[in-house]
Formats: sequence, structure tokens, C-alpha cells
Amino acid sequence: MTGEATPHAAPVEVAPEDQARAEFYALLGRLWYAAPDQVLLDAIANAPPLTAEGAHGALAEAWRQLQAAAAAADPAAVADEYDAVLVGVGKAEVTPYVSHYLVETGRERVLVALRDEMAELGLGRVGATHEPEDHFAALCEVMRHLVGEGAGDAAMQQQKNFFTRYMNRAYNPLTDQVTASSKTSFYKHVARFTKAFCDVEAASLDML
Amino acid sequence: MSNSRTRTSRRNFLLAVGAGGAATVAAIGAKTLPQAEDTNVKKAPQGSGYRVSEHIRNYYRTTLV
Repeated sequence: MTGEATPHAAPVEVAPEDQARAEFYALLGRLWYAAPDQVLLDAIANAPPLTAEGAHGALAEAWRQLQAAAAAADPAAVADEYDAVLVGVGKAEVTPYVSHYLVETGRERVLVALRDEMAELGLGRVGATHEPEDHFAALCEVMRHLVGEGAGDAAMQQQKNFFTRYMNRAYNPLTDQVTASSKTSFYKHVARFTKAFCDVEAASLDML
Repeated sequence: MSNSRTRTSRRNFLLAVGAGGAATVAAIGAKTLPQAEDTNVKKAPQGSGYRVSEHIRNYYRTTLV
């Protein structure tokens, strides 16, 4: 608490690197929610490379491999892969619902806490959405939203808190399982890129 | 506590790892990703057909009293 009066009416400025983070979250949210169509695969394949300095190449390399995989992927096969591995509440080979990775029992309590937190942020499930809120894609969408709220102290702390509570301990087991599955091919690269990105997020939010 | 030095080192870190690659993801985002602020309806994929714009429409419907 700084105690300084922050005018809330000021326009939200989003720095280029935060804009990039928001877009990465949007992309990850999209890829974890459903298999990509040809348009998205082409867009990934044709996007510019990421440039990294020195020893910090993990994210850029994961991106390069995802691009190569996207260039070679057949959307129908990718959709089959996604359905075979990630679809089905409780019975999917790999569950995309993070509460499974956060607690042994009492998954509902995580959901209730998450639901409350999202309600506080003014977010929630709407209309015909039936997926529980702890779907990894939904968390990516929340992070995208939070990054768009600007980079003030309170906003950054909110990002850090949300990431720490719901994503930080879940992304490694989730992405490791997808990578290890005998049924995944394209999604191994999605998982590796997700892991590399979340590693960066964890490290950068930890600097706050 | 967040201060300008923290911000600078965080920014430098993000740029060093490539996560500052705004051009990269912007190239994808503009074309293919649903944006919460953007109600353009994108082509729906087959299957579960997740569309943010549809959600937003549904949401607006719930607010019509």
C-alpha cells in the first residue's frame, strides 16, 4: 500500500512488452481452448521469429519449433489430437483444468475461490459456456485481461497474485503431460511453448 | 515494491528473452485471435467452436432486463 491517490480515470497505458504478453496469453488461450484452424496455423507459421539475447533462448527456440510444427500441421489431425488428449472433464488423458494440479482433493474449493476472484474482477462465465473456470485457457484469458489493465503497482500485483495462485504450480505438470503423451504431436510444441512462456512469466512477475 | 528500477529490469528481462516480441504476436493477434474489445465475428472452427464474440453477445443478452 503506497497510500498515494491514483486517479483511476487516467487512460491505461500498456507498454509494448506488456502488449506482447497480452497477445501471447490470447494465443495460448486460443490454442488451449480448441485446436487451431488452418488460418491460425498459417498465421503462426508466417509470424516473425522471436529474437532473444545470449543464453535466454528458450522461449525463442520454443516459438521457432511451434512455427515449424504449425507450418507442417494438418488441422484435422491436430483437432483429433486435441480431442483425444484434452477433451473430457475428469476423463481426458490430460486434464486442462488446473485445480487438478493444485490440490489432491477439494477441487471445488479452488473453483469457488477462483469464481469469487473473477467476480471481483468483473469477469465470469457467460451464456452458453459450461466449462468450469479453471480451464487453463480461461486463466490465460484472465491474465490477458489483467495485463490490459495497465502496469501500475496494484495492477501488476494483481497479475502476480493471479498467476501465482492458479497458474504457477499447474503449468509444469499440465505441459509435461501433454508433451509426454504418445498421442500428441503438434500439441507437444504448444505445450513446450506454453511452458517456456510461463517460465518467463514466473521469472518476470517474481521481480516485482 | 515496484519502482522504476524494478520496471526497467523487468522490461530488460522480457526483451532479452524475446517476450517483448510485440511484432510477432501482433501479426497473429490481428488476424486470428478473438479480442474482448473486438466484436468482429471470426470464422468459427469446427467442433466446440469457442468464440469470445459469441460469449460477449450472450453476456449482453443477460444484461437486457
